[in-house]
Amino acid sequence: MSNDTTPPARDTSGRFVKSAAEKVNAMSRTPDDGIHPMSRVLFGWTEKKGIGGIIFWGMAALSVILVLLDLVVPRHEKIGIANAVGFYALWGFGAFSFVVLMGWPLGKLLRRDENYYGDLSGPPADIDPAIADRLNAGEPKAFEGEE
Amino acid sequence: MMPAWLAALNPGWLMILVGIAALFISHRQIRQVLTVGTPIAAIALLVMAPHEVDLLTAEALDITFSFYRVDSLNFIFGLAFLIASLLNAIYALHTNNPRQDGMALAYAGAAVSASFAGDLMTLFIFWELTAITSVFLVLQAGTRAAYFASMRYLVIQILSGVILLDGLSYVWRYNGSLSIEAFQSFSDPGAIYIFIALGIKAAFPFMHNWLQDSYPKASVVGAVVLSAFTTKLAVYGFARLFPGFDALIWIGAIMTIFPVFFAVIENDLRRVLAYSLNNQVGFMICAIGVGAAGIGNPLALNGASAHAFAHIIYKALLFMSMGAVLYRTGTTKASELGGLYRSMPWTTLFCIIGGLSISAFPLFSGFVAKSLTMSAVAYEGVSDAGMVVVWLMLLFASAGVLEHSGIKIPYFAFFGHDSGKRVKEAPFNMLLAMGMAAFLCIAVGLPAIIPGFGYQWLYSLLPYPVEASSYQPFTLEHILTQMQLLILATFAFILLKRFALYPAEKPGTILDTDWFYRKAGYGFVQWSGTVWGKMGPAMSTIFTRLAERTFKRLESAFSPRGEIARGGLSGGASIWTAVILAAVLLLSFLSS
Repeated sequence: MSNDTTPPARDTSGRFVKSAAEKVNAMSRTPDDGIHPMSRVLFGWTEKKGIGGIIFWGMAALSVILVLLDLVVPRHEKIGIANAVGFYALWGFGAFSFVVLMGWPLGKLLRRDENYYGDLSGPPADIDPAIADRLNAGEPKAFEGEE
Repeated sequence: MMPAWLAALNPGWLMILVGIAALFISHRQIRQVLTVGTPIAAIALLVMAPHEVDLLTAEALDITFSFYRVDSLNFIFGLAFLIASLLNAIYALHTNNPRQDGMALAYAGAAVSASFAGDLMTLFIFWELTAITSVFLVLQAGTRAAYFASMRYLVIQILSGVILLDGLSYVWRYNGSLSIEAFQSFSDPGAIYIFIALGIKAAFPFMHNWLQDSYPKASVVGAVVLSAFTTKLAVYGFARLFPGFDALIWIGAIMTIFPVFFAVIENDLRRVLAYSLNNQVGFMICAIGVGAAGIGNPLALNGASAHAFAHIIYKALLFMSMGAVLYRTGTTKASELGGLYRSMPWTTLFCIIGGLSISAFPLFSGFVAKSLTMSAVAYEGVSDAGMVVVWLMLLFASAGVLEHSGIKIPYFAFFGHDSGKRVKEAPFNMLLAMGMAAFLCIAVGLPAIIPGFGYQWLYSLLPYPVEASSYQPFTLEHILTQMQLLILATFAFILLKRFALYPAEKPGTILDTDWFYRKAGYGFVQWSGTVWGKMGPAMSTIFTRLAERTFKRLESAFSPRGEIARGGLSGGASIWTAVILAAVLLLSFLSS
């Protein structure tokens, strides 16, 4: 089907399905600078100055509001403990923090060298041929484990 | 009305036959028409198939084989498998690999055929076929690591099949029938063997590592295909054969928890998804275990089935998005990625939709599916304190899912530290497949503004549709509590990042239970080899000398030059004559 290595001859093949597919593909094509036009539409807001602070305080405010809503929304939990105000909020916050913070000791305990089992290989054979060529030519590091 | 032969055509068999044919079709377009068209035809066949009827049977060796039997439980699993197969075929359209295309179709077909099996022997045959066909998807990666991983994968998958065969032999021996019926307890003949066989494929704790070992080493397309079938076939097997088994509740709950910790320290994002798969299957296994009498049973089995359906789609979507990243950048290591939203905005968007779905945000498929399980467990918790612990474990795991699949995957691949990688967006066919999966994730998760659509469509497919129709996932308190859990967990992420408490992504190998066979076991075998290498010659010398000596003794007695032949009562000859006489006397005494 349509991929980015399509030879130009396919554009003039005249077949309707193929040309439609090519058009859609062209709409989603990344220009040479690697910045896709849609990225500005969809995620341009993440690059705005001060967005980190807005997200932080926005989420903090949202969290407080959600907990306060517990006071007005009647709940009929089957499990008694879940009826406590802010139970889900506390459990979610606590569980998430615990899991992430456990990453420090667990990482030290369980992380070994990348080639620990002696079978470190490069990427699979079906990656973009252009990338595979570049990796083979310029970055042999990924293939150190190969014989 | 369908003709009888068409009604008896198992959609799985159709996929297997076309899959095998595709192996030999070198013309790319023809093969692709088949790989996309066959799942569509198979879905049509399944939708039209009558339920609760043996549509294809055979008698052989005193066994009644039921090859194709559709009911409300296997219908939803079969449908999910077929939809996944269609998405996989579209996702693979940019490739030109007959072996991968054929095996992917046959693998999906084997999973579908196994889920429609009406007897254990048919289940076993297709169970094994899923193993044999799927191993090629790992092998297609073409790397050294994939080769070794595929061999380990095959050994474990075949082991599961052998144990299943063992179990069904017991069933046959004691029951005289192989028809698929739920076991009543572990003391039933063969139950424990079949439980273990299914447990291996469902990747139970300590049996799970074949999954994290092989899936992330598979080809770009292969990992997407693999994510859908094997584990969910095992989930179906448990729902069919072991509903309400208490052991499953705890096994499932543990399964939801432990992968969360591995996922947080794992650097390879496809491996993170493999751990996430474990965690999600845990929810389903737990739900199947909650099969107590009363409302628990239908609600829980509905939960497991709905979760399996939703999970097959969103997990495929997440694997597809990581596959697209791998395809364009050559890596899925979090430490080498970041900032890809600039180049791959569509892939980013679809990945986020997959992440929101698996995290069970309201308006996405995970929410309406997981709610059933959580409610079923909570209902049991009213009368059983142990179930409160299970419920808390599942809630803990829900926050864990958000960590690794909802935040870690999209954040470290597409946002976070900019890796400077500027690549092309994924090929159109990949985007199309991801878009379709994302559409399903949302379509199934929406409230039923139009009756029969949104979540109600999914609920109408469940094993107990009447009970499902009375369940309301979109209540104010349910939405509120779920948002509290997820938003506060997300806020924890923001806080931890802000104060640099979130562990950095580092390259490395994370030790897991495969260490026992890949290092300890392998080391033991190597050590045994060394020991044998040294002991062998020494032992050979001893044996050779012993044999030489024995031969010389015998020769000196019995050979033509030996003492007996020479005659006369020399010392040696007299002893041998006495021995032979004693033997003859003893024989005649015993035989008289």
